[in-house]
Parts: sequence; C-alpha cells; structure tokens
Amino acid sequence: MDDKGLSLKKTVWSQLDRKAGAIIELTIRQLRHRLSTWVVLSVGILLMLLLLAFYVDSVRDGFESIDNDGDAVDEDRDGYPLGQEIKYGHSDFDFSQYPGVGEYIPVGYIDSNDRIRTISGNYTWFGMGILNPTWINTNYTGNEWEPIINWQNELSMCPEGEAFVDWSWETYGSACIYGDSEYVFWGELKAYGSIEVPENRYLNWGFYTDSFYVEPDPISMYIDEDDIDWDGNFLQSSQGFDDDGDCIRKNWSDKSNYIDYSGEYNFDNDSNNNGIICDVKWTVDSEGNRIIEIYADSNVDEDPDDEKYLGESSHRTFIIGVGKMAFVILLGLFLPLFLALGLIRDETENGTLHYLLSKPIHRGEFIIYRLLGYLTVTGTYVMLLSLFMGIIASVLGPGDSIIRLKDIPIWLGIGFTTILVLCAYGALFNTLALISPKYGIYICISIGVWEFVMGILTIANPNWNISAISINHWALQIIDSIVLLTWPDTLQLQQMSQAFNLESGLDIFWKPPVHTLGTSNPLIAILVSFTMLFLFTISMLGVGQSIFKNREIM
Amino acid sequence: MNKVNTKSPAVMLDHVSKWYGEVIGINDISLAIEGGVTGILGSNGAGKSTLFKILMGRLKPSQGTVRLFGIDPWKSTTPYRRIGYVSESEKMYDWMTSLDFISTLARLHGMSREEAVDRSKHVLNFVGLGDVHHKEIGKYSKGMRQRVKIAHALVHNPDLIILDEPLHGCDPIARTSIMNVIRELGKQGKTVLVSSHILEEIERITEQIVILHNGKLLAIGNLHAIRDLLDQHPHRILINCENPRDLAGLFISSEPIYGVRFPDEGQLEIHTNNLSAAHDVLPSIIVKSNQKITSIENPDDNLNSLIGYLIGGINHG
Repeated sequence: MDDKGLSLKKTVWSQLDRKAGAIIELTIRQLRHRLSTWVVLSVGILLMLLLLAFYVDSVRDGFESIDNDGDAVDEDRDGYPLGQEIKYGHSDFDFSQYPGVGEYIPVGYIDSNDRIRTISGNYTWFGMGILNPTWINTNYTGNEWEPIINWQNELSMCPEGEAFVDWSWETYGSACIYGDSEYVFWGELKAYGSIEVPENRYLNWGFYTDSFYVEPDPISMYIDEDDIDWDGNFLQSSQGFDDDGDCIRKNWSDKSNYIDYSGEYNFDNDSNNNGIICDVKWTVDSEGNRIIEIYADSNVDEDPDDEKYLGESSHRTFIIGVGKMAFVILLGLFLPLFLALGLIRDETENGTLHYLLSKPIHRGEFIIYRLLGYLTVTGTYVMLLSLFMGIIASVLGPGDSIIRLKDIPIWLGIGFTTILVLCAYGALFNTLALISPKYGIYICISIGVWEFVMGILTIANPNWNISAISINHWALQIIDSIVLLTWPDTLQLQQMSQAFNLESGLDIFWKPPVHTLGTSNPLIAILVSFTMLFLFTISMLGVGQSIFKNREIM
Repeated sequence: MNKVNTKSPAVMLDHVSKWYGEVIGINDISLAIEGGVTGILGSNGAGKSTLFKILMGRLKPSQGTVRLFGIDPWKSTTPYRRIGYVSESEKMYDWMTSLDFISTLARLHGMSREEAVDRSKHVLNFVGLGDVHHKEIGKYSKGMRQRVKIAHALVHNPDLIILDEPLHGCDPIARTSIMNVIRELGKQGKTVLVSSHILEEIERITEQIVILHNGKLLAIGNLHAIRDLLDQHPHRILINCENPRDLAGLFISSEPIYGVRFPDEGQLEIHTNNLSAAHDVLPSIIVKSNQKITSIENPDDNLNSLIGYLIGGINHG
C-alpha cells in the first residue's frame, strides 16, 4: 500500500467522516443486536396502535350531541327538564314543583304577639290553632314527610283539659279531635271555619292559584339548543346570540330571573362586563386577524352543536395529546433510558472499549459518534413512527379532502421535537452513567420521574416557573408553538372550548406558548426553547466528554 | 514496513511510576525500546498490564514521562496511528464476523470501507484465519479469537505492536502459530512488545527481554546473557527413570554435578552449578545407563527462579 499516495487523497474531513461512520455503524449494529432495543421499540409501536384504535373509536365515529350546559336533565322526574323548570322558576329537585303548578298567594297572618287571635274564612291555613270548621277539604292531603294534615286518617281524641293551657299539641303535620266539633292542629290544611291561635303561636293563611297544564318540553330540546353565533367579522367584538333565551329571560316567570342553572341567585347577564347584556366578547390580536380571547356572558351560546365544532378540535386534541404524552414524554424518556445509558458504560464494563480506544480517535469524539449512532436508530424510529401516525390520522381525520396535508407538518414537528428530547436525555443519561457507572441508572430513573411530573405540569399550566427546570417543559413549548404556527386558529378553538363548554380536551392539552419574550410570536418561542435544549445538550455533552477524557480505564 | 521512523524511539519511559492509592502499579521505570521483539516478563501483578495501559493512554502515570514516537499518549491519540494493541480483555463483539470486526475497527484509522475490507482480509490471512473470516467470532476457539485480536492490531500496518499476554489460554498449536506471527513481525522490522509470565514462551519468540517484578524494572537485555549468568548458579534437573539409584551413581562422578536427591519413587534430582555443562553431559550418561527415561525437567528454568536469582538467591521452593 502506498501510504503517501493514500494520505494525499485523504483529507482530514474524509478521515473524520470514516471514523464517525464506522462508530455510528457499529453503534447501530450493537443496538440492533440487543433484545432491549427491540422490546422498547415494539412497546412504542404498540402504544401508538393503541392510541390509533382509541382515535378511531372516539374521534372518528362522529360526535354525539352533548348537553354542554347541563340543562337536559329531569332530576325530580316530574316530566319537565331542568331548562323548562328554570323558565318557570321551579326547582328540578322537588317533584311537587313543576311548570303550571298552583302558586300560593298569602292573604294574612297572626304572629305570636298579635292581640286579635281569632280569624274566620275559607283559606289554605298554615300554622297552629283550634279549628271550628264549617267545611274541611279532606282531599287536600300530604304524606308523612309533609306539613299537610291528612284528614283521611282516623284522628285521635285530644288529651283531657283545655288546649294549650293544660297541654300542647306538638306533632307537626297532624291534628286531634277537641271536644264535640273542634280540632287542634299543627300543619297545613284547607278549610272553611274559624280558628283560634294560642298565645305565642302563629298562623298564615292564603290561597293557591289555579294550576294549569304546561306541555312538558322533550329533553332533546335542551341539547345543542344554543349554538355559537359568530359572523366571522374580526372587527365586531360583540357577537353571540342567546338562541334559547335563557340569558335574556324574556317573558319568564319573575322568580327565574334571579336563579341561574346552578341554583345561584342574582343571575348576571353581563358577566363579561362589556356593557352589553347576553353577548359574547371576541377579542382579536393587535394585527386584527386572530381571535385570542373569547368571553361569553352566562348562558349565551353555551350549548353548541357538538358535531360542528368537536370534530376539528378533538382531532387536534388527539394529535397534540399523542405528540406530547406519547412522543415527547414517554418515547422521549424511555428510548434514551434503554438505549443511551449504556453507550459508553457498557463498553467499559464489557472490556470492548479497548479495541475502540486504541484507535487514533479522541474520547470526546467517540462520545459524539456513539450518541449519533443512538440518535440514528431512535431518530429514524421516531420520524417513521410520527409519519405513520400522521398519515393514518390525516386520512381518518375530519374534512372533505382525502388526506389532511396540513397535519403533516405538525407530525413532523412532533418527530423533530422528540429528537431534540432524545438528544438532551441521551447526552444527560450517558454523562450520568459515566459519572457513576454503578448508580447512574438510579439517578436517571429519578430524573425521569421528575421530568414526567414536570411534563404534566407544563401541559396543565406552562406558566408555572418550576416546570422550566426540565427538558420536557421546553420540548412541549415547541409543540405548542408548532401547533400555533400550522393551525393559527387553534387559539380560537381552544378559547371556544373554554367559553362554550366544548369538551374536546383542547384547552387541557394545548395552551398558547409562553416563552415568546412578550411578542406572542410562536417562532420566538420555538427559537427560545430550541436554544435552551441545544445549550443543555451541548453542556451535558461537554461535561461527559471532560469526564471521559480524564478517566482512567482499567 | 517502509515507514520512515522519526528520531524518537517507539517507546520511551522516563522514571515512570503509577500507584493506585496505596498500591504501587509500576515503580520508577525508565526504558527505551526501538525495533525488534521485546518480551516483557513478569509474574502476575508485576505491572505488565499497568505498563501497557500507561503506554496506551488508558492510565495516567502518577510520575514520570511517557512518550510513544515522542508524543505523550495520555494527551494525544496521534501515536495510535502507528500502534497496534492487543489487550488482555477476552471480550469481543461475538455477533460479528472476524472480517466485520476488523474492518469496522480499521475504519477508525480513517480507511475507506473498501480499503478496510482489503486490509482486514490481508491480516486475517497473515494470522491464518483467511478461510474462516465469514464466521462469527462467537463460534471461534480461544486461539482463533486471540489471532483475531492480533489481526485487528495489525490492520493499519503499525510500527509498534503491543501484545498483552497473547498466548494466554491458547492450545499448543495456536501458541505456535501466534509465536510464528510475532517472530515474523519482528523480522519485518517492527517494534513488538509481548508480555508473558512464562519464560519459555518468550524464549521461543525473542532474546530481548525486560523483566518486571513488583512494579520495578528488574532486568533488561538479552535473555541468553541473563540465562548464562543463571547457569553458573545452583540448578536442579529432574529425571523420571526406571532406576534412579543406578543413574545417580553415573551422575555423581560427572564434573558439573555436585549432588543428587531422590524426591519420589522413580525420580532423580541432580544438582549442578553449570546448567549448560550439565546438559552437555546428560545425553552420554543417559545412553551409558541404558535406562528408559520418561522425562527430563528443569524446575528452576522458569521465570520465578530467574527472578529469584536476580533479586538474590535462587528460589528452590
């Protein structure tokens, strides 16, 4: 071999290239020969298939209409749904209260201090006294839990002596026979006659209006009965229309104007405080072309047509949820835990490191090439998996076109973000295993638990500063940003979820990116997050290299 | 083979010591080696592997200076372009074929894939594994594995080859084959360092030796010269024969023999002050005795005795 001739041909770069190629290839082949590699990769694929099955089951099969405002119920089973009962000011927890039932109109009362203590007339009475009846409505009866006295039961004789002087009748909702033609009672009754009210007792009287029949509304009338009304005009902030009239409450019973669905009093029909009752405030960004906040007055557009809105936002929720939970948090953590931890450590333990280190290759370089080998395997896997998921979900997803091409960048972004996470954890775990070959695995697992918790925290609320001390936080920020870049109206959908009770989960899994340096520009958030992950990876790599460089190898 | 050596020797150690906490690995070793095969002799724990690991930049010397072709191996990997190293580690990538294994490692020298394969086939032929290079290493015998390790160290045509116990655990045929390979390398003008704890093995490979004992450099030079010194000192020869007493009578009258002993039935131990002279008279006495001799052993002709002698007083243990 003519060494001189060869060395002329070889540039430094091509030599570097060849060394890198050899170690990367060796690493890939080593990983391929390990059972744990196949196990963890297969589990990842299984997880994705499971999620796709879930998607097909719940997202693809259309959406049942949901009673988003919760008024399509009949808790007291009187045949009238809650929405209808509220119109008439009745509770849905009392079956004796229903639309059209007679209203009690009070006429007078004797309280415990009044001087005149006798009254005559034909009324509905309530209280305590001695009744001398001309006529008693024995059909007006209640049951044992009600105050109405049941005259159809056989009454007992009152005790001997003068009523309320020698004895007192203390059984609520009942009466006793007093003398020849009088009764002592405590409760409610309908009678014509005179009543004497004992000292320190009270009596109310009045009458019920006639009850009238109200046709019960079908329960389905209270599902999807108040759809979102948005005219698409970004310049018009006040939008929305109270289709079902439960905010405006025109021609409703007086009582109902003070009662909200939840039973709260003092119903506020301008809860968004924009000075316009029963509307929805749609706020646009400074450029005037993106909805950034939606605030509806109570009971306006509160029960939209789920089929119309849930399809798109549920589809996005699925993608974002899979991207964050399955790709970034689970694959991002478990792939490096299984595949990167032993990149150098295992070689040292096996004694095979000697072959590699007796070659003219710097130890620092060696770490980089090993990590590149691991990244080639995991990165290819993650990209293929995200592309596979993307294609399937894009074909199944809502919309008129055969494939939702616009989803593909999101899936590629998810793959890309996961690779950044794989880099960061790969460098971190490899370095930890170098620092402590014996306990590195435990440290890595502890960090994994921390990362998992911080990931969940970031999904719940990215503004919590503590979660920024994690790799997941920054990766999830990138996904939030990519989503906003690709689907700018996601913010609008997310605000709609919150404002109109749409249970798509979009507002749970997606929040607008926070690290935009005050610009609300998702590109800035990507740049900031990428820089954080990059710096972390580089510094971990640097620490690992300097440890390995100065390590004596027995 | 035709590389132009720089002025610096292949291996240079200047007052090099290495200790692990309280334990001394090697102690104040100064040495320069250039060209030919050098045997590094020492019993287990003498510091052979420590010395090699220092040379290969695995360990940092606690004191002193190490230079390979004039460069500090702890700080730079440049010398490894010209060095082939066979470690004592038994582990290999068993799932690889020997061709794969060697060509992958060859690429770490900056060879292209094709060059690497060509060179690997060449060195596998050189160590006598040319016809099995497509077999997985896991299926190889111990001696074949050892030869794969040697081949991998030769693939880049190095000027300095360091072999840590290359004959360890090999059967006699493999041993002979490996010894031939090492001798051949020496003939090609390369600097070869071979460590062993068996004197006889090294004797068959080279005359140039370094003896390490308890981390110290005990002797350096020509093995025969050292042995000649040893020959002038009390030595034992153990003969297994039919009638030791008759044989003893013949020996006792011979000049270089000054004593006999009967350690066991059918055994005669003769004591001499001049081993080569004793070996000179041995054949004629045996012929004269007309006895059947089953074996002749030199129990003192081993490394321990040599070391024992060098540190003062032969160990008859």
